[in-house]
Amino acid sequence: MDRRSLMKLGLAGLAAPALMRPARAQGATLNMYTSSDANISDFWSNVVKPSFEAANPGVQINVVIAREGGGTQAIAERALAALQTGTGPLLDIIEQHDPNLPAGGIDAGLWVDWTKAGIANYGRVNPLAIQTNFGLPYRGSQVLLAFDTTKLGQDEAPRTWAELVDWIKANPGQFIYNRPDKGGSGGNFVRRAIHEANGRDPSLFTVANFDAAKAEGMLAGGFDILADLAPSLFDAGAYTSGNANSIQLLAQGAVTMIPAWSDQALQAINQGVLPETTGLVQLTDLPLAGGFSQSVVPTNAENLDMAIALADFLLTPEIQTAIVTGIGGFPGVSWSELPADLQERFAAVVPASIPTFPGGDWGAAVSDGWYRNVAPNVTRD
Amino acid sequence: MSTADLRLAWRDVDWTGIVLAAVMAVVIIGPLVVVGLWAFAEVWRFPSLLPQEWGLRYWGMTLGRADVWAALSVSLQLSFVVTLLSALICLPAAYAFARLDFPGRDVLFLSFLTIQAFPRFGLLISIATIFLTLGLVGTFWGVVLIQLVNTLMFMIWIPTAAFQNVDRRLEEAARDVGAGPIRVFWSVTLPQAFPAIAAAILLTFVGTFYETEGAWLIGAPHVRTMPILMISFINNQLVVQLGAVLSLMLWVPSFLFLLMARRWMGPEALGRGLGG
Amino acid sequence: MTDTATSGGAATGRPDASGRVTGLILVALPVAMVMTMIVWPIGLAILDTLWLPGPDGTGARFSVASYRFFFSDGYSLGNLWITIWTTAVSTAILMAIAIPLSIYLRFRTGRAAAVVQALAIFPLFVPSIILAYAFVRVLGPNGMVDIILANIGLPRIRSPYLTVWGPVIGFVWDNLPLTVVILLAGLSGVSTQAVEAARDVGAGRIATFRHIILPRIGPSILVAASFVVLGLFSAFTFPYLLGPAAPEMMGPFMQRTFGDVLDPVQARTQAVVTFLFCAAFGWFYVRSIAANRRRMAR
Repeated sequence: MDRRSLMKLGLAGLAAPALMRPARAQGATLNMYTSSDANISDFWSNVVKPSFEAANPGVQINVVIAREGGGTQAIAERALAALQTGTGPLLDIIEQHDPNLPAGGIDAGLWVDWTKAGIANYGRVNPLAIQTNFGLPYRGSQVLLAFDTTKLGQDEAPRTWAELVDWIKANPGQFIYNRPDKGGSGGNFVRRAIHEANGRDPSLFTVANFDAAKAEGMLAGGFDILADLAPSLFDAGAYTSGNANSIQLLAQGAVTMIPAWSDQALQAINQGVLPETTGLVQLTDLPLAGGFSQSVVPTNAENLDMAIALADFLLTPEIQTAIVTGIGGFPGVSWSELPADLQERFAAVVPASIPTFPGGDWGAAVSDGWYRNVAPNVTRD
Repeated sequence: MSTADLRLAWRDVDWTGIVLAAVMAVVIIGPLVVVGLWAFAEVWRFPSLLPQEWGLRYWGMTLGRADVWAALSVSLQLSFVVTLLSALICLPAAYAFARLDFPGRDVLFLSFLTIQAFPRFGLLISIATIFLTLGLVGTFWGVVLIQLVNTLMFMIWIPTAAFQNVDRRLEEAARDVGAGPIRVFWSVTLPQAFPAIAAAILLTFVGTFYETEGAWLIGAPHVRTMPILMISFINNQLVVQLGAVLSLMLWVPSFLFLLMARRWMGPEALGRGLGG
Repeated sequence: MTDTATSGGAATGRPDASGRVTGLILVALPVAMVMTMIVWPIGLAILDTLWLPGPDGTGARFSVASYRFFFSDGYSLGNLWITIWTTAVSTAILMAIAIPLSIYLRFRTGRAAAVVQALAIFPLFVPSIILAYAFVRVLGPNGMVDIILANIGLPRIRSPYLTVWGPVIGFVWDNLPLTVVILLAGLSGVSTQAVEAARDVGAGRIATFRHIILPRIGPSILVAASFVVLGLFSAFTFPYLLGPAAPEMMGPFMQRTFGDVLDPVQARTQAVVTFLFCAAFGWFYVRSIAANRRRMAR
């Protein structure tokens, strides 16, 4: 199915429930689901919810916390079933969800097409962050290296990919990253290796240019780099099953360095999960890839108008500023859209943009290729 | 009874029990004690034997939340209702599978295996469609129904084995002295099968209490059970202490249940099951 | 509940009509539930794996291509093999622990036995996610065992975390109560007098076990093993949190194929293969129930 008919279907899906959409009801409750880490659900409960409710009297946001990995997927599948049976999905917005799931959902017109939704702030979104028309990128995060400064001084920490590889090989067993499909910090480390093998040029990978045969060749170089690293990793080729598990190993002093989401690492240090002596460093030749959360709204949402209004609200300077200052995240809108003083204040610490890597087919090829080519390289006795 | 037991003891000294208890205490309770210690720990870093800083911060954070108590109540209600309904519909079926002959018996018996053996993730849309059509999504009774389906295999397969193991000679003897079929079932068959039925009830109750997949698919966002709440505390948190606190809290109803389990399946119940 | 003469009649090949109707009525409700809510959706899922779009992307037709891919793909077969291996090893270890333990619990009274029984059932109340955390904290690198060893000046253990032994240890711990509870219920059918009599005529422990106990608890061992195998084969939490990245057990493999590789047809194919292995195992149990029914009715 080509892009145009996809859009048409998306539109059709948007129009049909609009007929039976109830008038903006007083006392409406928006069911917002999230399976992100605790700092994000706290952000919703403490920042987004009160300010949106203040701006829209009578509306309430119900923050529903889902199981990590599969929690929102079950709800999305239920929404697709509801679409097919003409019933209510008890869902208004998912804060972060891959619109490619469930398979066939986009074709069936399950998700609102943001280019047609008529939200005022859509034009301000950072174009690099957009993966599909159905996911609304409202916050981003970068991956950097977190390390134990008692074992490796802040000044000795690697600053380029080549230095990082040298350090990992010189210190076998002291580095671990998590599986690319289980929490994005390991996945973006893998993507950085792929960027390295392709001349450090992220623009070679776009949502539209996936081609299975070409991808195999482009990814193979990255997998070779990673397979070469495997014997020097923790336990000669072990990979943790999530962002938090990597942080746990760093906290227990079992490894010296891990890739970590910047906001999660900062939160871990603030909460005392990671000691004060934890250092953070970003590569300077090309930063590790980052990612943007894609919000989705089903076209059959009980409070569709309100959900779309909430999505628009997420892109306002108020919330975008709070994402930068409150959770150490990366704005979903372009930096130039933020207040000038904020731009100045963060200019030194936050890069103008973060390299991204397309999801969908590319993401699937990276994950499956990694499991087949890198993960089995275990040289244990 | 006790002298007979002693005479028949498989080991001459009760050292076996003491050694077993000691080993199992380390293996079973040990890991949980460590998790329990984390519930009181603010800072604990390798290689210190005990936490460097103690505190009750996480207890306050957990117990102060009203939703914890509401979720506990929902979970207990669900478990009681589901277990009761499951026993009501499954025990007669188990008796039929064990004793009666009817067309398609083996295939129907085998069909309950699909509940455990086929991974759920590929069926979610179909299952959700059924519940949406019935208008049960987001309701207590919808969750009861999906969890009831989950219990069928345990509640049928385990008692079926037990009904088969009942000594037929005792039943015949009872009939010979003039007892009717209901009386024979009630006074002879059921008591002999009771330990297994109790086991099935125990496993069903606890399994239902901790079931999350069906409760989430059908119940969200209105029905919040304890394990679903717990998952939101553990899975998405860097701080596992909150999870440790909640798991300690869950052990309270568990302990009550263990006491009941002892009464049902302890040596006394086993003795009763033997009719002596 | 009709009388046992009904099944007696059945065993000699003369099923009587009232038993047949009664039987069907008694099983009707649970059977109807499992058929509509589980078997029917499974049928649809299986159809999905056999009814594939043609090479040009249109016109669905019958095809076994997704199964051919699974059984010719070394990576998928490796995952199937590690699943079988893990299941077999875990079940064997579990039975080796649970059978003697249950026999001890059955024939012992007193305080020590009560404590042992409470301990054996305890893991039932611990959600596997908590156990996984406990595992990492205890047996993981720099966990409690390492802490204790370091404090008494011994070298660290080779941690089973993220190796194939991680899930095995988790499974054994987690399934111990289920196995013990079912075996203990089965052992209640072994009469104390019979064991006593056998011991009186000089039968050893092994002989008593083989000739008196084993025949009575055979069905219970099978039912316990069935539950354990079924639970392990498509288990997710332990292999995902404690096991290695590759080879993957079928549980995490299927979910990843479904949600991350975005290939629902192949994921369902993996699910069907998993299911067939489980069904084959379940068939043993059903057969033994049927054989037992004939034997008992005789």
